[in-house]
Amino acid sequence: MTMTTVIQRAVWVLFLWPYLLTCSLPLDCREDHGSFSRCPSISQEKLLDRVIQHAELIYRVSEESCSLFEEMFVPFPLQLQRNQAGYACITKTLPIPSSKSEIQQISDKWLLHSVLMLVQSWIEPLVYLQATLDRYDGAPDMLLNKTKWVSEKLISLEQGVVVLIKKMLNEGMTTTAYSEQGLLQFDGQPEMLESVMRDYTLLSCFKKDAHKMEILLKLLKCRQTDTYNCA
Amino acid sequence: MMKTSAEVNLLLLLLVFTLHVKGMRYSPPGKPALTRCRSPEKETFTCWWESGSDGGLPTTHALFYRKENSEAVYECPDYRTAGENSCFFNKNNTSIWVSYNITVVASNALGSTFSDPVDIDVVYIVKPNHPEMVTVTVLEDKGWPFLRVSWEPPHKADTRSGWITLIYELRVKLEEENDWEMHLAGQQKMFNIFSLRSGGTYLVQVRCKPDHGFWSEWSSTSYIKVPDYIQREKPMWVLITCFCAFIFLILTWLLHMNGHSLKDFILPPVPGPKIRGFDKQLLKNGKSDEIFSSLVVSGFPPTTSPNCEDLLVEYLEVYVPEEQELMEESKDLHDICLKSEGCTSDSDSGRGSCDSHTLLMDKFREAKEEKRQRDQEKSRTGTEDQRQQKDWEEEGLTYAYEDMVSPNISSGRVETWPSLFSPLPQYSSSRHSQKSSLEKAKKHCFSDSLFPPGSTSFSLDQGGQTTMEAIRSSNREFSLRIKQPHLLHSHTQARCQLQAHSEVNISSIGCKQALGGLRSPAPHSAEYVEVQRVNEENTVLLQPVESGHGHIDGCSQLPLGKDYSRVQGVDRYNRLLLKGEVPQEGDCLYDYQDMTGDGTENCYTSSSVPSIQKPTACIHTVIMGHDEMVLAENGYIDTLTARTLPNY
Repeated sequence: MTMTTVIQRAVWVLFLWPYLLTCSLPLDCREDHGSFSRCPSISQEKLLDRVIQHAELIYRVSEESCSLFEEMFVPFPLQLQRNQAGYACITKTLPIPSSKSEIQQISDKWLLHSVLMLVQSWIEPLVYLQATLDRYDGAPDMLLNKTKWVSEKLISLEQGVVVLIKKMLNEGMTTTAYSEQGLLQFDGQPEMLESVMRDYTLLSCFKKDAHKMEILLKLLKCRQTDTYNCA
Repeated sequence: MMKTSAEVNLLLLLLVFTLHVKGMRYSPPGKPALTRCRSPEKETFTCWWESGSDGGLPTTHALFYRKENSEAVYECPDYRTAGENSCFFNKNNTSIWVSYNITVVASNALGSTFSDPVDIDVVYIVKPNHPEMVTVTVLEDKGWPFLRVSWEPPHKADTRSGWITLIYELRVKLEEENDWEMHLAGQQKMFNIFSLRSGGTYLVQVRCKPDHGFWSEWSSTSYIKVPDYIQREKPMWVLITCFCAFIFLILTWLLHMNGHSLKDFILPPVPGPKIRGFDKQLLKNGKSDEIFSSLVVSGFPPTTSPNCEDLLVEYLEVYVPEEQELMEESKDLHDICLKSEGCTSDSDSGRGSCDSHTLLMDKFREAKEEKRQRDQEKSRTGTEDQRQQKDWEEEGLTYAYEDMVSPNISSGRVETWPSLFSPLPQYSSSRHSQKSSLEKAKKHCFSDSLFPPGSTSFSLDQGGQTTMEAIRSSNREFSLRIKQPHLLHSHTQARCQLQAHSEVNISSIGCKQALGGLRSPAPHSAEYVEVQRVNEENTVLLQPVESGHGHIDGCSQLPLGKDYSRVQGVDRYNRLLLKGEVPQEGDCLYDYQDMTGDGTENCYTSSSVPSIQKPTACIHTVIMGHDEMVLAENGYIDTLTARTLPNY
C-alpha cells in the first residue's frame, strides 16, 4: 500500500471514528451479551403486531395465488371439490385446535407453539411448490412471484415467531434448518392432472394454514391486551 | 313375533292396496339438494336444503355429515332452530378449518333418496350479518359540511378478538337519484363523505365482509338532510349580472359605432343661417347690431312715412276668372281692398299699425266678402291664387332655395290665405276651403301677436307685417326664414325672403300691408316684385322692381322705398294690378293676373321683395290661365304667390 492510500484511510478513520463504535446489529440481537445492549430492541406489542401483519399478508397472497392457480390449471369440475383426490393436507397431523372454543382453552404457549409448528412445516413445501410452478408451461409471472414472495415472507415470519416466543415465553428456539431434500419429492410430470391436483391441494392447504396462523396470532394479541374480554 | 311381523306385512299390503285402489301412484321421494350453508360468525353455521318431489307420500328429511378426518357419520343436531328444511350446527358442533361432508336424505314409505354430498369448510362460508348502529351526522369543515357515517360490526361477529376480520363498504345516494355511490371503508368503522349537495337528502347504507367470505346484506337505510349552505340566489344573481354586463357592453359598442348618427337623431343640428352673402361669423360674434346691419338693405325703409292706408293692403286677390268676372271682381276687390281700414301705419313702431285683433277683424270681414266673390270664381281663383303664389314663390325659389319651401310653402300659402284662396286641389269645395281658409286667416291673425313686431323677417308695412306674421304663424317652419334679415332684400337672399313673404302675404287676406312696411329694427327697404307677365303655363312672372326699371304700366320705376302693397285690381287681361304707394309718383296701376283655379280671390300683401335689387326678374311662374302678365311696378308679390308655382 502506498503512502497515499494509508493517509487516505487514516483520514477516513479520523473523520468517521465515532461511527466505529456503532455497528449494524441484527434485529434479534442477543440480549445475553451483557451490559452493552446497544441492540435496538423492539417491544413485545410491536413485535406481535408485526408478526400479525406478516401473517395477514401471507394469507392474502396465498389466497390470490390459489385463485390464480385454480383458474389456470384446475379443470372446472374439480374446482369445487377440495381434498377430493385424497390429498390431505400435510399438516393435518398437527394438533391444531379447530374450533374457537378449543382455542380459548389452550394457553398462550400452545398458541405460539402451534403457530411455529405451522410455519416451520410449510417452509419446505413452499420451496418445492415454487420449483414445481417454475416447471409449468405458461405459468403466469404473477403466480410465480407471489409464491416466491410468500416463501420468503414465511421465513421471516418464522424468525419473528421465534423471537416472540423468546420474549414471551423466555424459551429459546432454533430455526428450521433448511434441507435440500424436502418432504415431498418431485414425482411425475408436471401439468398432468395428478400433479396439478396435488399442487392445487397444496396451495389450498397452505391457504388454510395461513389463515390459521393469522387467527391464532390475533387471538394471542387479544389475550395480551384484554385478557378478560377475549373470546 | 311372527304375528306382529305378519300383521305389519298385512298392514303394509293393505296400505299399498288401498293406495293402489285409489288410483294414486306413489314413488320414492325425489332427490333433495343442499342449497346453501352459511355461517354468520365463523362459530356456527346452518345448512338449507330443498326437497324433491315427495312421491305422493309423506317424506322426511335427514341430514348427515361426516368430518374430514373421521369416518363417523353424525346426524344434524338441530332441525328447528333455523327453520324449515334446515340444519343448524351450534358452536360445539362446529369446527373450522375442517371440511364437512354433508348429505341430505329424503325418505318416505317407499324409499329414501340421498342427495349429492357437499364439502364445506366453515371458514369459507362466512356471511356476517349487516353492520349495526349506523349513524350519520353532518359536520362542518371550514364552513363546508360533510357527512360522518359510523357503525358497529354485527354483534355476533367477534372482531374484537380478531376471530373475524371484517372490511366494510358503504353506499350513498341522493334521495331523488337512482345511482349509488360506493365507498370502501376497509376495516375502519367510520367514514367521511364530502362534496354534498346543499339542502339535499342522502341515503346511506353499510355492509361488511370477512376477509374470506361473502358480503353481508345492506344495513337499513339511514336518511340525513344536508342543510342549505349555498345561497340559492347567488348563482342566479351572478348570472343576471353577467348578462346585464354583456348587454351593456354590446350597447356601448353599438353606441360607439353609431354615435354620430344617433346624436344627429336626438339633437338635430340647428340649421344655420342660410343667407347668401351673410357671414355666419356675425352670428357667432353675437352682436346684434352687426347682424342687423348686415341684413339691412340700405335704402329699404321708406324715407317717407306712408299712410297706413297706402301701406296696408288688405288682401291681394289673384285669380283668373273670366274676364267679365274679373272685371267685376277686380272692382270688388278693389273696393274691398280699399275698404280695408283700421290700421294706421306705423312704420316706426315696428309692428303692425293696427292691433292684431283689429286686423283680424278686418280680415274676417274681408274674408267674408271675398267668400261671396269666391263662390263665383272658386276654382279659377284658386288656381289663380295658387299660380300667383307659385309665381311668387317661384321667384323666391329661383333666387335662392328651390327646394326649401316649395310644397310646404304652397300648402302653407293655401292655408294662410284663408278667405282669399281656397286650397288648390279643392276647386269644388271652394266654400269649404274658404271657410277653412277663413279659419286659417283667423289663425294667422291670431298669430300676429305671436311674432314680435320687431322681427326683422318681414319688411312689409305694418299691415303687411301683421299679415306676414299671421302667415308666419301658420308656417312656423318658415318663420325663421321669414324672420331672416335677408328678407330685407339687401341680398340675393331676399329671394328666400320673398318666398317667405309670399307665403305670409298670401295668408294675409285683407290684411293691409304696407309695402314699405318691412319690419325690422333697421330701416328696411321694401323690395317688390313686379308681375312681369304670365306665361303660357299660367304662371305669373314676377319681376323685381328696381329703381330705374321700366314697367309696362308706367309706374316706371320703383325706387326703393316704394311700397307695392296694394292691389288695385284686376284688369280684363287677367293682370294683377298692384298699386304702388309712392306718394310722389302716385298710384300706379299694376296689372295683376287673375288667378285661375280656385275661386278665392287672393289679395296679396306684398312683402318686401328681396328681388327688387336684382336685376333679373323674379320669376314666379304662376300657373294661370292667361298669358298676360301683370306687371306691377310698385306692387309686390306675395311670397305666397310665389309659392304657387311649386304646387304644380
